[in-house]
Amino acid sequence: MIYLFQLMNGIGLGMLYFLLAVGLSVIFGLLHFVNFAHGAFYLLGAYLCYALLEYGIDFWGALALSAIIVAGIAALVEAGLLKRIYRMDHMYHIVATIGLALMIQEIVILIWGPIGSSVAPPKALSGAMMIGHFIYPEYRLFLIGFTAVLAVILWWILEGTRLGAVVRAGSESTDMISLLGYDINRINTAVFALGAGLAALAGALAAPIRGVDPFMGVEALAVAFVVVVIGGMGSYTGALIAGLIVGIVQSMMTTIWPAGASLAIYIAMVLVVLIMPRGLLGRA
Amino acid sequence: MMAMDRPLTHFALAVLVALLLPFFTPSGTLATEVLIFAIAAAGCNLLLGYTGLLSFGQGIFFGLGSYTLGLVLINTTLPLLPTLVLAMVAGCVVAIIIGALSIRRQGVYFVMLTLAFAQLFYFLAYTFSDITGGDNGLTGVPRRGIGPLTLNSSWSYYAFVAIIFLVSFAALQRIATSTFGRTLLAIRDNGERAQAIGFPIRIFKVAAFAVSGAVTGLAGALHALLIGIAPLSDIDYHTSESILVMTIIGGTGNLFGSVLGAAFYVIVSDTLSAIWPRWLLLLGALLVVLALYVQKGIWGLIESAARAVQGRSGGPNAVKADSAGSEP
Repeated sequence: MIYLFQLMNGIGLGMLYFLLAVGLSVIFGLLHFVNFAHGAFYLLGAYLCYALLEYGIDFWGALALSAIIVAGIAALVEAGLLKRIYRMDHMYHIVATIGLALMIQEIVILIWGPIGSSVAPPKALSGAMMIGHFIYPEYRLFLIGFTAVLAVILWWILEGTRLGAVVRAGSESTDMISLLGYDINRINTAVFALGAGLAALAGALAAPIRGVDPFMGVEALAVAFVVVVIGGMGSYTGALIAGLIVGIVQSMMTTIWPAGASLAIYIAMVLVVLIMPRGLLGRA
Repeated sequence: MMAMDRPLTHFALAVLVALLLPFFTPSGTLATEVLIFAIAAAGCNLLLGYTGLLSFGQGIFFGLGSYTLGLVLINTTLPLLPTLVLAMVAGCVVAIIIGALSIRRQGVYFVMLTLAFAQLFYFLAYTFSDITGGDNGLTGVPRRGIGPLTLNSSWSYYAFVAIIFLVSFAALQRIATSTFGRTLLAIRDNGERAQAIGFPIRIFKVAAFAVSGAVTGLAGALHALLIGIAPLSDIDYHTSESILVMTIIGGTGNLFGSVLGAAFYVIVSDTLSAIWPRWLLLLGALLVVLALYVQKGIWGLIESAARAVQGRSGGPNAVKADSAGSEP
């Protein structure tokens, strides 16, 4: 039974990793841009959620607002700064976004201090449910359901809407969609903001489980990279499957060998790279 | 201008830095730290500037060097110099493994893999705390002398590190200007072409990793000896990031640039962190500015300044300098 719970925990965690990584993946697919500040958006989302809850806003409002605020900030950063460096070498993408990530992290410490806090789950979801003779926290169940709904919506945005079609076409050839009359700059900004907003949402959703601390961004960035390396960059399905694998491996290991839980996900990554260098669903 | 391209000039500049550093730093410890990170940054530069491999995993080799030295000096009676060689071997062997695995992917994936490996090794060190001391690190690393020479005072240790720094710098220069180094440049500029000509580019890339890992392991060992512990922080993400940032600030593709980058980073961070604990905010802003406007780093600035001086005096390189300056 403990394994079933850990499996469920793992699915919840994995869905968070999926939300985190899919933004990174879509941004890269369209913009060919390596965003080392992605973890910082996750961090900012978690802290905004924490702050809004402290301020007395209800959980749903805090979730939505933190995602929207971060998406807004990301849009400004993209339009004001990042779009000027897309054409440069990857090295400068990395330098600029490491710089950005450092700035966000330090601003978070300036505002909220260097020590982390715990975040209480919303009252309606703070209880526990009886499953047979066992109890399971409601928030974790909610997490699985809510992220599943988000995943479906996201899939619909990417596969069923015009924006999604343009984004997918843009991943193949940005010049072509510019020729077709789409304003590529606005699409880039929108996609970047969407990706950052998803990272923020993942951070906000994770806050009641793991609390907030200023260095959670770095950790999240590394996990997002692992997910992308395992799943293959630019692939929605890859991010979903890899996110779930990473989440479940990490949760299961917590029972089997708690000290090695974080270690296990990196070992999983090495194994995948050894066996399938392109990732599970990566393209050439 | 021409003289600025010569390896001998760069080596002379490195000697100058080693001689002048004591006058510009408040303590022997800080001066030593500059040279240690200069070695590490130069090792990173061999990968980034000469081979085009942006490795986010330099902290792995640095930390392994620290731990190797710590474990050997605490548990055995081995003299210092063989211990340093062991630290280089540790960095080298692991760099070969990580290099061989990481170059299976290219471009951004490669970078992400190296970062994920950095996390893997951090968690290894964190998890196996019986060996590494976990959060506390390996404490009580003795600073063993060499024969009759003790290295106990901070300036005698500085002198020792300065010699190692100059030897490493000369060795890296030698490697960079050798046929091997030229081949690395060819791989950096156009890997497919180098492969088509018949170079086994994977082997060359792994070899570059081996050299870089050895040099970085040496730097890590010297760092553990400097502070008397092999801390967990030597193997963490921030060490990898700092080494990379120093290399890029200094200017890639030029080994002396890495010395400048390390000096700038270590001295500025020491000064600013004493004034304002949130100085990383400024570093972040600096990196953004660097990416936008100063892409060739400090060394690039010096080169442009030298060109400007030459251009004014109407040297024969004036036209060439203009065209080089407009590179994207």
